[in-house]
Amino acid sequence: MTHEAVTASQPFVMNTTFWTATAIFIIAYALIVSEKIHKTVVAIVGASLMLVLKILQQHEAFHVEEFGIDWNVIFLLISMMIIINLMRPTGFFEYIAIKSAKLGRGEPFRIMVIFAVVTAVLSAFLDNVTTVLLLAPVTLLIANALEVDAIPFLIAEALASNVGGTATLIGDPPNIMIASKAKLDFMDFIYNLTPAIIIIMVAFLFVLKLIFGKKLHARPELKQRVMEMNEREAIKDPLMLKKSLFVLGMVLIGFVFHGKFNYQPATVALFGAGLLLLLSGTKEPHHVLAEVEWPTIFFFIGLFIIIGGVVKVGLIKWMSLKVLAITHDNMFATNMLIMWFSAFASAFVDNIPYVATMNPLLIDMAKVIWPHLHGTNLLHNPQLMPLWWSLSLGACLGGNGTAIGASANVIVVGMAERAGKKISFLKFMAYGMPVMILTVLISTIYVWLRYYVLKI
Amino acid sequence: MKAKDIMEPVRDSLSTDTTLKETVNLMQVARRNESKVGVKGMIVLDDKGNLAGIVSIKDILKAIIPSYMSLMELGDFTWDGMLEEMARKVAGKEVKDIMTREVITVDEDIPLMGCADLVVKHNLQRIPVLNKDGKVIGIVYVRDLYYAIVKALLEKDGK
Repeated sequence: MTHEAVTASQPFVMNTTFWTATAIFIIAYALIVSEKIHKTVVAIVGASLMLVLKILQQHEAFHVEEFGIDWNVIFLLISMMIIINLMRPTGFFEYIAIKSAKLGRGEPFRIMVIFAVVTAVLSAFLDNVTTVLLLAPVTLLIANALEVDAIPFLIAEALASNVGGTATLIGDPPNIMIASKAKLDFMDFIYNLTPAIIIIMVAFLFVLKLIFGKKLHARPELKQRVMEMNEREAIKDPLMLKKSLFVLGMVLIGFVFHGKFNYQPATVALFGAGLLLLLSGTKEPHHVLAEVEWPTIFFFIGLFIIIGGVVKVGLIKWMSLKVLAITHDNMFATNMLIMWFSAFASAFVDNIPYVATMNPLLIDMAKVIWPHLHGTNLLHNPQLMPLWWSLSLGACLGGNGTAIGASANVIVVGMAERAGKKISFLKFMAYGMPVMILTVLISTIYVWLRYYVLKI
Repeated sequence: MKAKDIMEPVRDSLSTDTTLKETVNLMQVARRNESKVGVKGMIVLDDKGNLAGIVSIKDILKAIIPSYMSLMELGDFTWDGMLEEMARKVAGKEVKDIMTREVITVDEDIPLMGCADLVVKHNLQRIPVLNKDGKVIGIVYVRDLYYAIVKALLEKDGK
């Protein structure tokens, strides 16, 4: 079967609509990359143009799964943000951070390793930005107390958060988007990605040991400062903390079983958010809801509509044919291309718009290769599955490459700068790029061994 | 009475590139009025002598508190000597990086009630008074406003 035959059966024409949609898409992405205009504003304007110019009908943008806003992603993000916003004032995260520093017995390198592991684990369940925002201030405090340079700690945390975030469905927005589009559940990610991330994390810690193992020292009296901190003082609201942990536990159990009971992850998270709002006894939910990161949410909404437009006119399908032409329909070659291209692309551009584009691209590609398959038979085709994992590994781990590769990196650099410690683009890259290449290399071996050699 | 009737004339000021250490020293030796020495706030003037900002003790405290402390509740995890340590660390910071830039000022002819209203609404300790050309000619202090009230209530004719 040739591509031409398939194209002929599902024709698309490069007419004015095609080029208008393509222009909106390219200009919007260029503006997002240039950061000349805030990305949320670009996304909203681009999306509205897709509607005003009737490339997409409003109905398609709001209600059609193939072209429109992925409400599963939107509600999962909003709900998790609500849960975290309610949990933050309890002091739980300060407690975890101080406790971690004390577990390190004031030894700088031990603290670095423990912080990296804690960041990775928290990032697997919370979004990376939240995790880094919660740990970085304590890191700066501890570094001040020990009179050591905070920069290596902060970079290690940013890198660890991007690694840890890859481990689960809810860890990183690309995974949330992939899961929703490919109809994969929480346990699919646990089975397929978590083992890879554990291996990668061990390798990452080994790299930290090589670089910093012998470099970091603190005088005994400075260690004493850390040991004298009482983490219990961090807990401001023990009752609310208990309620939060109860709900968070329920939500995690819900995630584990959501596939089995045919619930979407967003349903589980929304239930958790509602329950915790109720338990918090708040009379004024305005504050909690206002703290949801609406710019991020609207960035997603706009992006989904822009992508919907170019999916509808066939641009994404045209791109998928190009990818297959490069790899001559060889699935392993396609897989490797996707993983490494994703990594380098995500190192320099936001992985959210990138994955938003790649998701329909992979689906269009699958439709070309298996035109007779539909629904989950198509999405979960054994030959397609490794591509989803490679997309996730490439896009998430690629974020480590540069200071602008992931939001967690941007936050860390910003916070360091405000504390009077500048992390230059090149300095971050000197740590980030080797770590990115190492981790993607491990992912390559993992994917190759598991899905193409052992086939498990 | 008006602002110009109760203000104290400006004797000393800082420039934008004065360091924190010099600032602290200048505030120690600045004259408050004819008799007293030492002030809790000073105005900052730019090269042209226009008001650029104001530095108070609170601005100095803000400058020495590490920025990360404002992001989380970390006050319980500080240590003995931290304040002094941080102060020495930022001793070279320049006034332009620590001053309050948005200064609320009054016109020399504003009635005292206008000053009192601003003090309460914006929780101020001192208000620079500007002349017609926009130059600072004096400062109205909270205590001077209070003395005006004392006078009004305790002196029969209100003068």
